[in-house]
Amino acid sequence: MLNIISTAKSQAKKSIDSSNVLLKLEKLTTGYKSSQSNQSQLHSNLNCNIVEGELIAMLGPNGAGKSTLIKTLTGMVPALHGDVRYNGKNLRHMSNKEVAREVALVLTDKIDDRYLTAFDIVGTGRYPYGSFMGRLTKTDKEIINNALLLVDADEFQKRFFYSLSDGEKQKVLLARAIAQDTPLIFLDEPTAFIDSPGKVVIMNILSNLVLKHKKSILLTTHDTELALNYATKLWLLGKGSFFTQGNPDELVKSGMINKLFDRKGVVFNAATRKFESNPDML
Amino acid sequence: MTSKKNTTIIFTLLPVIIVVLFLVNLWYGSVNIGWLDVLNTLFSNEGVKSAPNIIIFQYRLPQAITAISVGMGLSIAGLLLQTTFNNPLAGPSVLGISAGASLGVALLVLLGGVAGLQISGTIALLGDMAIVIAAFGGALAVLLIIIFVSGKVGNAVTVLIIGIMIGYLVSAIVGTMQFFSNSEDLHAFILWGLGSFSKTSIFQSVSIFLVTIVFFAAIMIFVKPLNALLLGHQYAVSSGFNVKVMQTIFILISGFLIALGTAFTGPIAFIGLAVPHIARSIFKTSNHAVLVPAVVLIGAALALGCNFISKLPGYDASLPINAVTSIVGAPIVIWVIIKGRRMSNA
Repeated sequence: MLNIISTAKSQAKKSIDSSNVLLKLEKLTTGYKSSQSNQSQLHSNLNCNIVEGELIAMLGPNGAGKSTLIKTLTGMVPALHGDVRYNGKNLRHMSNKEVAREVALVLTDKIDDRYLTAFDIVGTGRYPYGSFMGRLTKTDKEIINNALLLVDADEFQKRFFYSLSDGEKQKVLLARAIAQDTPLIFLDEPTAFIDSPGKVVIMNILSNLVLKHKKSILLTTHDTELALNYATKLWLLGKGSFFTQGNPDELVKSGMINKLFDRKGVVFNAATRKFESNPDML
Repeated sequence: MTSKKNTTIIFTLLPVIIVVLFLVNLWYGSVNIGWLDVLNTLFSNEGVKSAPNIIIFQYRLPQAITAISVGMGLSIAGLLLQTTFNNPLAGPSVLGISAGASLGVALLVLLGGVAGLQISGTIALLGDMAIVIAAFGGALAVLLIIIFVSGKVGNAVTVLIIGIMIGYLVSAIVGTMQFFSNSEDLHAFILWGLGSFSKTSIFQSVSIFLVTIVFFAAIMIFVKPLNALLLGHQYAVSSGFNVKVMQTIFILISGFLIALGTAFTGPIAFIGLAVPHIARSIFKTSNHAVLVPAVVLIGAALALGCNFISKLPGYDASLPINAVTSIVGAPIVIWVIIKGRRMSNA
């Protein structure tokens, strides 16, 4: 597995050289506008890119604005200032359908419908293509089946979604994102509520998508150790507009992870790459 | 998921049930008409002035067609609202939309004095259209409030609770108006409120039917966005739909269908709420490509069935349809919910 990770990282470096920029953040300010004069800013003046072949993990404490950034990048929350560009196209001038052809999402929203099957859910990934009406085409069904196979979910495709375990549900939602056939996939906490081996399975699938299927992935997570193992790049989002990005190893060495979380009595050990309690600071 | 074969069988069976119930509704009534006479009257052009002909073409046929149309329309509306609000309890009456239609009609009948036209039985086209417009206006007003609130709140449960509260509020206003109105107007309004499929002419009933069919066809265009909405607002957006526009379209269409039905028949309880649940539990799917035609067929069958039951006492005065649909509908909803519970626990 370490081999896979190292190749993922070296590949990422190569593609950065060729710099095929899929997503560009230009002086982006995120936050919420409650009225004309009243707005609460989360992060300001963000300038960064996502290029082909990257697996970016967004780290940061609760409430730092990771989910808000994902929603801003997909147009669900309007940017307060600045722009988001997909392949040069400004998000402000893109329809929902155009966005849906650039980026697929895996969210933390609960789906509580009783009669949707796993296949039905993955099928909605094909909706950005074709008309409102009509059934899924043969090609659609092939793509859906391939997506289900890719995440190893084909055996429960006919089961009702709500009856699946959290890990299985996450696989189905991932298959939906794959079926959407976009260059980019954003995932909000894809490993939350999943047992430890399940987390590794999900991360392996994601790594595989980047390596073999030329996807670029941006995910938020609280599993720092897991993120450090798999990510080719980190975006660190802290409170008070703190933002920095870079190579995981370098960010660990420079003590940035420790600075990011800044929790009393807890310290990030750069050698073991784990959070440890630090009684001195209590 | 019910197998494809079963789905096909049920879809062929339902129209048969509808045809049978339709004929039963034409055959059964306070005046005895034989089966053969019913068929003869329907399929021959002779005997225009015969008693069976008058009874069937002026009373029973429009009644049955209205039942079918309103059954279909309310069921589509219920399904759209349940999907749009992502809530199994959403329905025409729960969101206060029916109450809004009542308010519109109350304003017209109790304050405007159109009652005379209603009560005389010979509904003048103008007064009739006025009631339709009043019901539609009232329903639309409540709908707009709900759209406004859902835009502000976003949380579907909160919207639903606000809808229920608006329903209470509107009912209170209607109650107050009833208190201050004269007995003739009040009588007309209460009659309207009890609901009846038999207030329409053949022309009106066929018109309602055709309009409902057009809306049914229109809804079939929106199968994909409806399915996407089942995954929740954000996933629907990520599937490429402009959810706010879609929600507005669905709320307006359901509002129009509820207003259309309510205007001609009075508020009909439970059909809009119950039929989507029945459809889901029969077909074991949430896919709207199946559900939309399913609720249309089941809604038509259920309304015809309820209309037949309302005629069962056999006297001149049939039971108020609203009471029948509640007596039939409420246990069905309870049964479906309990069954769903058991399934999810298993």
